[in-house]
Amino acid sequence: MSHTRNRPLSAADLDAFGEELDAIRARVQADIGPRDARYIRRVVAGVRWTGVTGRALLFLGAFVHATLVPAWILGTLLLALSKILENMELGHNVMHGQYDWMNDPKLNGKTYEWDIVATGDNWRKTHNVQHHTYTNVRGMDDDIGYGLLRIFPEQRWRPFYLMQPLIAVVFALLFQWGVALQDLRIGRWLAGRMQPGELREAFRPVMRKVGKQVLKDYIVFPLLAGPFFLPVLLGNVVANGIRNLWTYTVIFCGHFTANAEIFPKEVVQNESRGHWYLRQLRGSSNLTGGKLMNVLTGNLSHQIEHHFYPDLPANRYAEIAVDVKRICVRYGQHYNTGSMPRQFGQVIWRILRHALPSRPRVLRTGEAIA
Amino acid sequence: MSALPTPKPRWPLRLARRAVSPALFDFWATRFNPLWTLEQPLARLVSRTSASRDAVTLVLRPNAHWAGIRAGQHVSVGVTIGGRRLIRSYSPTVLDDGNLAITVKAIPGGVVSQHLVRDARIGEVVSLDAAFGDMTLDEADAPLLLLAAGSGITPMRALLRDLAAQGMPGNVDLFYWARHHDEFCFTGELKALAAAHPRLRVHFLATREGDAPAARVDAMSFDTVTALHERRAVACGPAGFVEAARSRLRGTVARFDAEAFSLPAPTAVDEAGDVEVYLTRSGRTLTLSRNQSLLEGLEAQGVRPAHGCRMGICNSCACERQSGTTRHLLTGDRSSEPSTQVRLCVSAPGTDLILDL
Repeated sequence: MSHTRNRPLSAADLDAFGEELDAIRARVQADIGPRDARYIRRVVAGVRWTGVTGRALLFLGAFVHATLVPAWILGTLLLALSKILENMELGHNVMHGQYDWMNDPKLNGKTYEWDIVATGDNWRKTHNVQHHTYTNVRGMDDDIGYGLLRIFPEQRWRPFYLMQPLIAVVFALLFQWGVALQDLRIGRWLAGRMQPGELREAFRPVMRKVGKQVLKDYIVFPLLAGPFFLPVLLGNVVANGIRNLWTYTVIFCGHFTANAEIFPKEVVQNESRGHWYLRQLRGSSNLTGGKLMNVLTGNLSHQIEHHFYPDLPANRYAEIAVDVKRICVRYGQHYNTGSMPRQFGQVIWRILRHALPSRPRVLRTGEAIA
Repeated sequence: MSALPTPKPRWPLRLARRAVSPALFDFWATRFNPLWTLEQPLARLVSRTSASRDAVTLVLRPNAHWAGIRAGQHVSVGVTIGGRRLIRSYSPTVLDDGNLAITVKAIPGGVVSQHLVRDARIGEVVSLDAAFGDMTLDEADAPLLLLAAGSGITPMRALLRDLAAQGMPGNVDLFYWARHHDEFCFTGELKALAAAHPRLRVHFLATREGDAPAARVDAMSFDTVTALHERRAVACGPAGFVEAARSRLRGTVARFDAEAFSLPAPTAVDEAGDVEVYLTRSGRTLTLSRNQSLLEGLEAQGVRPAHGCRMGICNSCACERQSGTTRHLLTGDRSSEPSTQVRLCVSAPGTDLILDL
């Protein structure tokens, strides 16, 4: 499916490529300081203020009926914005350890807990370790279709995938639940490869988190509105839904565009640092759209830079991208970027196309290392 | 003063703790008062006065979560400089109004001490951790020999105030070393205490002053100390001082306790040879090579720390380096900031280390 012309890189090229990218890391790392701390504190404030304003407007709409519709719409949107900011620019980035250097227990990567039904601990395992180390490696990166969708022709086709255009929509609407269940590997249990006790054990922390989130969004806040329970409940449901759709869109644009590639398991054996970078580059795609897009996507608009440097503060990605792009051009490597409609259009095409049987067109492993 | 038991919080606070996270509560509560937190002990800087030529005494007002401290103990104070919370230990004196007084000496190249001595604003908020340290007095009437060098005077001052409040039940000799006369802190207070309590004797020893500099601890005779062999010796100062005191007094006192404070760790370190790594949770001390990542070194010794990518990106192996210097294997950067997260898979030891593992 790939239509790009990437120059084959020799082992020496790859080493030099890796060294140049490592040099960017060292440069940025040495410069991290007050500016980055100010940024993440502003994001925290943004999450809190949009959250409280959104919830206040939902109550206003519930109690002052003349304002119901505009207050409900604005309140829901602000609450959704708060959750998007919290999940993406704050939670996701903090859990990568990007702000560990601040030594603030509330911004600690290993203990942060986010405003979503998925537990931070499961996310740290499936995302930080599996997805980021084995990005787009078939059988190792569970994010390839989340065990539910066939995105690449390299995935074996089964009749089940004929339903995936529908399943993909349901998955998008319920994305936070998908993320919550991802690490439980229910598929393995259904296939009889996991003891029920093992699954129960894994389920316990997830249920605790789910209970907390459901209690907060769907019981306590609606009940605070008393007789006007319903509009507040609905506002919370819709805000969570908007967040689900948005995060799904951003994340799918990150690795499932037309030119994104996947890799066989063999590549990770004795993989050089340079090749690891190359794999991150070929498996990731960026989104154009400027500062607003950067904030709303948690800087996953710079998915390539994020995959190169998942532990550097995300507010640095935009300036890092200038150098990364230049290096990619110099090494003759395609830098996959485009507008959200364009990138997501390609994702939709993949979901539709690979619902039907398909075959990979080129053998890409040979191309990666000449 | 003994450590206070943490009082059972009142019901609004208990309810708040169940209902909201500290992150949420603290964000809103600190808009109203920077000390209002759900759990975290914090303190506000209320005054700063000069204590000697290169030291200041800072008075901190702790919030309700501060559980108290025994005389002679230490507290880790977190100071935010350039967006980063840096942790240093001080031995505070508890004032009559419950405030904590810490005396800080400006150390050349010391980021925190220079900040506290020169730049800290009145009203600035610092974090506190629970008090720690074993230099406390269990039997107040035991005869004591207190040895302090430089900033090592601060726990001694707290001990002496505590003893003075109890009427100085036993004989106490304080030997206090500094290089020059104007580097002594609390001179007025210590002399006044000695004047008020005949059982207390204070000796100021300036080692680089005038024609007759005072003897260092290794050459000190302690002839004037009565019944030396019955005394419990307590020493505090730089590691070199503490070691010299220990060997000088070996076999001559009833008991010897000491605490050494570490000076900034060297940043230029070797890349070959071995270091000792102490793991606080398991209590093990291991010898690891400087030219290997900590993760590999620990694994080779049978320790299995949590880890993931093994290449410095996933943060699974991050753990707190309490002291010592490490070298980042990808960037070559040296880091010796105490109480900092390091990733074991891309860090090699540079000096002896203490890891929270």
